[in-house]
Amino acid sequence: MGLMNGIDEKLVRKIPGAPVVLASAEWAINAGRSNSIWTLTFGLRCCAMEMMATGAAKYDWARFGFEVPAASPRRADLMIVAGTITTKMAPLVKRLYEQMAEPKYVIAMGACAISGGPFIYDSYSVVRGADKVIPVDIYIPGCPPRPEALLDGMIKLQEKIMKQKLTKAAS
Amino acid sequence: MNFQEILEKIKTKHEVLESKEDLGVLNAYIATAKIAAVAAFMKDELKFEQLNFITAVDFPANNAIEVVYHFFSYETADSVVLRIKLDRAKAEVPTISGVFKTADWHEREASEMFGIKFSGHPDLNRLLLPDGIESPLRKDYKNPDMTPLPKA
Repeated sequence: MGLMNGIDEKLVRKIPGAPVVLASAEWAINAGRSNSIWTLTFGLRCCAMEMMATGAAKYDWARFGFEVPAASPRRADLMIVAGTITTKMAPLVKRLYEQMAEPKYVIAMGACAISGGPFIYDSYSVVRGADKVIPVDIYIPGCPPRPEALLDGMIKLQEKIMKQKLTKAAS
Repeated sequence: MNFQEILEKIKTKHEVLESKEDLGVLNAYIATAKIAAVAAFMKDELKFEQLNFITAVDFPANNAIEVVYHFFSYETADSVVLRIKLDRAKAEVPTISGVFKTADWHEREASEMFGIKFSGHPDLNRLLLPDGIESPLRKDYKNPDMTPLPKA
């Protein structure tokens, strides 16, 4: 169902009498990618609670094509940086990101992952934002963001993936 | 026991330099060299079996760092705080990890956070901090990555 969302009508032609849809290879690949994103099981701090709630039954991100959380970075497509990155944790976050296979995406969830949040002043141990360590695709404000906000950010990421060009390297 | 009774009991065996009451809890200042002996006395004779925590407070205006030992007794549900005044430039105090096993990690944390040397400690490594951050809880700690809080 989600597969057909955002599809360009010009690219789709239904052939009468046969269940066939014609579309460009680019659209098909992007639609496949954006609707089977596996999330890295990885929470840094309190935002991880909201992330778990988003994955659980009440909000259930599987409805939007995010399916199972991947227990290994090798199988994950999306890293949700849910929480504060400390100076000590930063090299490990970077290593997890590097272990993920291309194409890979990063969502910075919450104030801490965007800028350091409440720790922006007078803190000796906090990295001022996930983008100081790894490239970030989507920023979701909030402290912490509600599950609706996270879902909205993830759907925005799907829209971003749908705009990718085959001729250009992903992310 | 109220704090006065506890103070009298400590005074029978050990010298108390200074004492005050804070929220009904005795705060007693002890000589630096005596801390291990006083801690053993607290544990064995006054039955303060638990050392809740060890931390420190920095007073740059007085050029002093105070090491704070918080004891608790399960028998009488009393608390006692022992304090030691140290010179900021050469902060060194004997370890009490021989008396209370839990003091081991507490002293490592106080050591990395305040730059206090606990002499005689079996393994005074860093506990939590990564390399490159030295005594960050001292009031005069400076770090180029730190943004100072703007004045309101």
